[in-house]
Amino acid sequence: MSAPSPTPDNLDELAGEYVLGTLSAARRRDVNARLPHDAALRAAVDRWEERLLPLSSLAAPVEPSPGLWPRIAETLDRQSAARQAAQATRPGWWDSLFFWRGAAASGLAAALVLAGTLALRPTPAPGPVQYMVVLVAPQSQTPGWVVQASAGQREVQLVPIAAMQVPADRALEFWTKADGWAGPVSLGLIKPGEPVRIALDKLPPLEPNQLFELTLEPATGSPTGKPTGPIQFIGRAVKVM
Amino acid sequence: MPGYAAAPGLSARSAPTPSCSARMPNRPDPDFDYNAALEQCAAGRRAALEALYRHEGPRLLGVAQRIVRDRARAEDIVHDAFVNIWHRAGSFDATRGSARGWLYSVVRNLALNAVRDGRHETAVDDDTAAALDARDAIDAWHDTRDAFDWRDSAGRIGPCLEQLEPVRRNCVLHAYVEGLSHSEIAQRLGAPLGTVKAWIKRSLKALKECLA
Repeated sequence: MSAPSPTPDNLDELAGEYVLGTLSAARRRDVNARLPHDAALRAAVDRWEERLLPLSSLAAPVEPSPGLWPRIAETLDRQSAARQAAQATRPGWWDSLFFWRGAAASGLAAALVLAGTLALRPTPAPGPVQYMVVLVAPQSQTPGWVVQASAGQREVQLVPIAAMQVPADRALEFWTKADGWAGPVSLGLIKPGEPVRIALDKLPPLEPNQLFELTLEPATGSPTGKPTGPIQFIGRAVKVM
Repeated sequence: MPGYAAAPGLSARSAPTPSCSARMPNRPDPDFDYNAALEQCAAGRRAALEALYRHEGPRLLGVAQRIVRDRARAEDIVHDAFVNIWHRAGSFDATRGSARGWLYSVVRNLALNAVRDGRHETAVDDDTAAALDARDAIDAWHDTRDAFDWRDSAGRIGPCLEQLEPVRRNCVLHAYVEGLSHSEIAQRLGAPLGTVKAWIKRSLKALKECLA
């Protein structure tokens, strides 16, 4: 980002290597962050994608396992149930979400109601105990992301359910904090609009009511190791039967 | 369900067989309306997403698996990609490129993000790489043969690939098809990192000029 403003030539080089896949993780993240705002870069990337697309045929097709489509459909079912539940519980104390960070009690109440709403839905939930977190924007209460996890699985899946934009020089950082913890722990930087799986191997098992939030941080993440920017989305873990 | 083919038999037709899978053309199917399918996804019609999956799933999974090199991970990528496609179908802009190309870019991006973030870049910096004995490597490059059966790839890019030296062509294909980083290609070819970077840069430039 500190690079001088790009000439058409090196913009095109950057786009070409981005599509080819040879950028480092850091430069890739940088391009991912720029794309929503940089029309010239986006156009260059689009052109490279069309140019190189025929090379996709060099990868031999692989027949998906029979369970893959049902899994996709199940994720979509669960997300739409969560979204409806979040919208249904919007009035009243749901509005106090902004204060969830400090007010564990109201967060728990909201979590329980959300759990109740979800339990009424015929949502297939494989695995022993599943946790679900609907992350909503603190101001508008619009659901933006869903976090899903099985108790036994040492990872969570973070799935976007609405489009969002992040300024080019900023990044979304994902945090979690259980009730007894001293402070939030970073789960890393998140790309807007992209589902991601995050390993939790270094953390204690998920707890009910555990807080998850996404904050806006400098492009390389929070400089202090704790959230420094505004909360974009926030929610607490709810057990789903 | 007008506008796109949703016949359940489509996936069976695209199932690979050992003898032809490597040569299966990956061209747009004129009978399948990718744009209409995305429009229907944006309108909330799940059957349209399933039709896309049945039609393009095996090829998309093939692309993902070649990059992440693990069947289960590749299926996770395709899962995430279709969830993504479902939610973002409304934002697809046909003036920016083909609908089919967009599907591939969603899958490739997820797969590349996964390998770049997960597979920590082998720490071969430019200096170390430059210190490698380039001379020995050059002998090996001269008779590098094609690592890919690229002549079957469709479209105008074929003759343009033809114009590249085999070793440079291999660099481009190792990167695009297998998702290898600069340093992984350098290791694969036994070539200095700086040289591989320069080859790729020049090859992209040559491809662009040839396709212009």
